[in-house]
Parts: sequence; structure tokens; C-alpha cells
Amino acid sequence: MQKILKTLMLGTSLTAVTGAAMAEGLVQQAGDSYYVAAQAQLMQKLSDQPNTRRAKNVILFVVDGLSVPTITASRIHEGQLRGVDGESNVLSFEALLPYTALSKTYTHDSQVADSAPTATALVSGVKSVNGTIGVTQAIKLENCASQKGAEVTTIFELAEQAGLSTGIVSTARITHATPAATYAKVAGRDWENNSNLPEEAVQNGCKDIAAQLIDWPAGDGFEVVMGGGRGNFMLESQADPEDETKMGARTDGRDLVAEWLAKGNDRVFAWNKEGFDAIDPAKSGKVFALFNRSHMQYEADRAKDAGGEPSLAEMSVKALDVLAKNEDGFLLMVEGGRVDHAHHAGNAARALTDTIAVAEAVKAVSEKVDLDETLIILTADHSHVFSIAGYPTRNNPILGIAGTADDNKPYTTLGYQNGPGAKVDAPRADLTGVDTTDIDFLQQALVPLGESETHAGDDVAIFAQGPWAHLFHGVVEQNLVYHVMDHATGLSTRAALAAAGK
Amino acid sequence: MDRRSFLAAMAAASLPLRAQAAPETLKFRDLYLRGRTLTERAIGLAGQEVQMIGYMAPPLKPEISFFVLTKLPMSTCPFCETEAQWPDDIVLALTDGPVDPVRYTDLIRATGTFEAGFETDAETGFLSFVRLRGTRFEKL
Repeated sequence: MQKILKTLMLGTSLTAVTGAAMAEGLVQQAGDSYYVAAQAQLMQKLSDQPNTRRAKNVILFVVDGLSVPTITASRIHEGQLRGVDGESNVLSFEALLPYTALSKTYTHDSQVADSAPTATALVSGVKSVNGTIGVTQAIKLENCASQKGAEVTTIFELAEQAGLSTGIVSTARITHATPAATYAKVAGRDWENNSNLPEEAVQNGCKDIAAQLIDWPAGDGFEVVMGGGRGNFMLESQADPEDETKMGARTDGRDLVAEWLAKGNDRVFAWNKEGFDAIDPAKSGKVFALFNRSHMQYEADRAKDAGGEPSLAEMSVKALDVLAKNEDGFLLMVEGGRVDHAHHAGNAARALTDTIAVAEAVKAVSEKVDLDETLIILTADHSHVFSIAGYPTRNNPILGIAGTADDNKPYTTLGYQNGPGAKVDAPRADLTGVDTTDIDFLQQALVPLGESETHAGDDVAIFAQGPWAHLFHGVVEQNLVYHVMDHATGLSTRAALAAAGK
Repeated sequence: MDRRSFLAAMAAASLPLRAQAAPETLKFRDLYLRGRTLTERAIGLAGQEVQMIGYMAPPLKPEISFFVLTKLPMSTCPFCETEAQWPDDIVLALTDGPVDPVRYTDLIRATGTFEAGFETDAETGFLSFVRLRGTRFEKL
């Protein structure tokens, strides 16, 4: 059958090539460089064949806040940084993950999502309520009592039950919404350590997110956990190893790092780059690394971190090396968590550099796995009110000036519909002589929301490659991602069989 | 007077002005080499008047004689923070009188005498590492 398919495909390609050759005689633009490049792309598409094997491994990249304009601007920026044409540049995941779809990100109760229920949608297959993690639409926000009967089973729990290895990597706090959705169930996403729990949650026995990670009952627990958020695992009496002026956050007497280490002998904990570099994946059964008290640094600031931090690509590759030792396969989530934070700050430059860091991670990971047996997905949880505007000329710096507005002041190509970059009842700032390409420059915005630029409700992209990646096409619901991962791996069935002892 | 003499005369005339010229500009990114290790430039500017451009974090209380200068607006994202988390590279700007605050998204230029080293404010208990003393500021 495979041979027949190949023959058919070859026939199609030959027909296309012959047709293209004939077209050269009739179509006047057939020799145009854009025409020729698109013909080459067509040939590439014609050679794509769906992979219907069972996925042994799944790697889910979630880029927090990766709107489509963020992808476009990052693609241009990355090219311009390398001194090549930015507009026609290609980010690694655009080339490596050719199956795409648009994802509808609305939640059970909101047109515009936050990262908590969208992460639940991705890893548990249901839409839910803004501000909640690992629970269904039956939840009442910030109400612990309503969690009973509303908690979900995540695909990471199914993977553990089925005997796969599991890992989570994030540049945000590991207790932050996206990674937390793989293991935590909370009615309030801010319940990151016990001191954040409201009285009602304490009375009704709800546990904070950090404690849920350490106490996670699925299988033998995560093999790899890497990210930020050290403070949520440390006692208020413990000084942070990277900054002696800052203390841990926990008030319940639980030193969660010590508890985790006490669970076995093949475990290694790291908090800086030196410790990270010392981890030998071949000898480490489980890795727990928390590189910052709160979020890890933006990629643009990483080199200045006191303790030193690995890049997202370095973390992803090391995670892969630990997880790939399991012959039954693995499930890994990698979150580029700070694209979102830079957008909230109205700071496009850092959002773009963090996106480029994700592209580097996808490239590094793709070089190490067999795409015939590994499903790789990259998507966002939600969009941002970020746009690429004006009519800048080709090759204009993407962080530069697009033109002059009716107020005779320059305006930038990149901007925000709302956020810190807007003035309150004051004229727009004059950007004449301002270096808008500076890493700290905040793009102008229309509506003044100083606290934070907001998420947006437009669809986000899904990119995929590997077994059953072709199921991502068209406009789909965000929670389909879980269902494709489950279909590709058969995890819900395998977990049920394992639970039944079969 | 030929062109060279003219330029020399202009340079000599500008000397007194240069002594009172605008203070050195110190960017946030030029504060630290890594972690809390100051750059040579920052160390060299200790005790001198500098200008820093940034944002004024919302004052801790009214009628206070200092403010916190931040690289980016001191915003707390409702979806990413459980509490106001101070960034590492803040600058304590001490003023000679009560601060008339500006909105924390307004870019300001602060001028003051640069100093570094841990110091705890006796009144507020605020611990700082990098400070501007005698700070004046203007909205940009």
C-alpha cells in the first residue's frame, strides 16, 4: 500500500512538474523569482504524506501569548538580526512543523482567555472557566468546595499511568498556569504556594499548586521539571540561594525541594547554570531545576542572571535526553512562558527575542528526535492586542518607524491596542530622535491600561509534525489538541489497560 | 582667524560650560554586569551626578521623600503575578522633599548623585542596593 501511495505521489509530482514546464510557455511570469519559489513550495507540499503510525513520543510547545502577528514580527526580526531578508525569512517551527490549523481560544465563560483554562484545554481536552486550572466548566472561580467532581484527568497523568516518562519545562514559574495545568487542580490560578490560599480553600482542604506538584500521585511522578518559581517551594525562613535578601514563600513548614529529594536516590536538583551543566542525563533518573525565585529571565536579559540560567533550547535538549531513556516513550511540555509577559509590559523587543528562543528550542529538539515516531506540536494559549501596521518599506527594521501620522509625529510599525504605552488624556509622544529599536522601548498604545496590556480574542496558530499531525487543519477548537495527542498515542486506552493490570 | 584657530577658541570658550554640563547618562542595562555585580562604568560613577531614564513606581504612601525608579513600568499583570514582584534592577531615588508623583507609565528623566551598596531606610525599612540622592526629575 505504501508503495502504491508513493507511486501515486510520484505520478502527481511528475504531472505537476510537466504542467509547470508547460506553463513556462504560456504564463508570462513563470520565470519570476516569486513564481519559481512558490512552485518549489508546491512540490514540497505534494510530497507530504500523512503519518498514521502510533506516536511513541509527544512534545507540546506552548508559547504563551504567541499571536500570529508575534510570529510574523519575530520571523522578520530573526532574519534582520542575521542580516538576511526578514520578510521571507522562516522560523524553525514554520519549516519543521508544516501541518497547521487555527485554534479558537475562547473559554467557557469568556471571549478572551487567560492562560489557565486554555492550558487545561490543551492538556485535558475541555474548555473551562477563566482563572481556573485542571477543572471543568462545573467549577466556581476561587471556590475550593466546587472542585469536588470538577477535576480533570490530564494527558500527563494518562502518560504516567501508561508507563511513559513525563516532563515539563518552562521559562515562567513552574507553578504558573501553563505548566501547572499538567498536574494541578485549583479553582484559583493564583494559589501557587500555601500563603496564597484563601481561608475557604484552607478550610475545605484544597492544596496549593507547588504542593500539588510534589505530591502528584500520577505514576512515579515527573522525570523532568525545569523552570522558575523557586520561592513557592521554599520556606519563608529560607534565604534564596541567588539573592540572600529574598526569602521563600511557604508558611506551612514544608520544604518542598527537600521533600522531593527525599523520595529517591537517583534525583538531582539544580538552581543555577553550573548545577544544570553538571546534570548527567544518563545517570539522573529525575531532574528538578528551579533557576529563579520567580520567573526565569527574559532571553534578552539571561546573560546577566546572578546564578546563570540555561536557554530554553538547552533545557529542552537536556529534558529530552532524560526522558528518551524510556523505551515506552515520553510526553514533554515546553513552555516559552515570557512572550506573554513582555507583551503585557508593552515591550515588543523582548516578546520577539523570547519567541526566537522558542524557535531555537524547536530546532534543537527536532534534530534529536525521530519525527516518524514523535508528534511535535507548537501552539499558543491566547493572542495579544499586538499589531504590525503602516506601510513600512521592505527591509525596514521591524522595531523601527513605519511613517508619519496626521499629528506630524513618527509612529512605529509595531504597536498595541492597549497597555502601558498609552498616555492618559495627553497627546501622543513625539518619537522624533527616539531609538525605537532599543530593547527597553515600549511601543505606543491607544487605550491606557497601565497595569498590563491585555490578551486578545483572535485565533492562534497550531503547527505540527509527526504521527497524526495532519489532523491539524482548518479552524479547530483549542481543546482538540488534547484529543489529537490522545488519538496519536492511544494513551487513554493504554492507561485504562494499565490500571486494569493488563 | 583660520578654521583651526576658530575651533580652538570655541573649545576653550566651552570649557567652563563643560564643567557644568549635563550629568552622565546611566542606562539601566549599564548598572550590572551579572547579578549584583556592578559594571565598571557604574562603579566609576559612584558619588557623581547621573541621569537615568525610567518610570516612577507608584509611591508606597503619600508625602514621602523618595520614589522607586524602574526600567519598565511597575505593572502587575492580573494574569501573571500573585503579588507585586519587584524586579532586580530597581533604583531608589531619594528626594529633598515630598515627591509629587507622576503616573507610573510616564517616562521620566531622574537626576541625582549615584551611590551603591546595601542600605536600609530607617523609616520605611526599605532595603536598597542602588540609589540616586538629591533626586530631581522631569517628565519626558
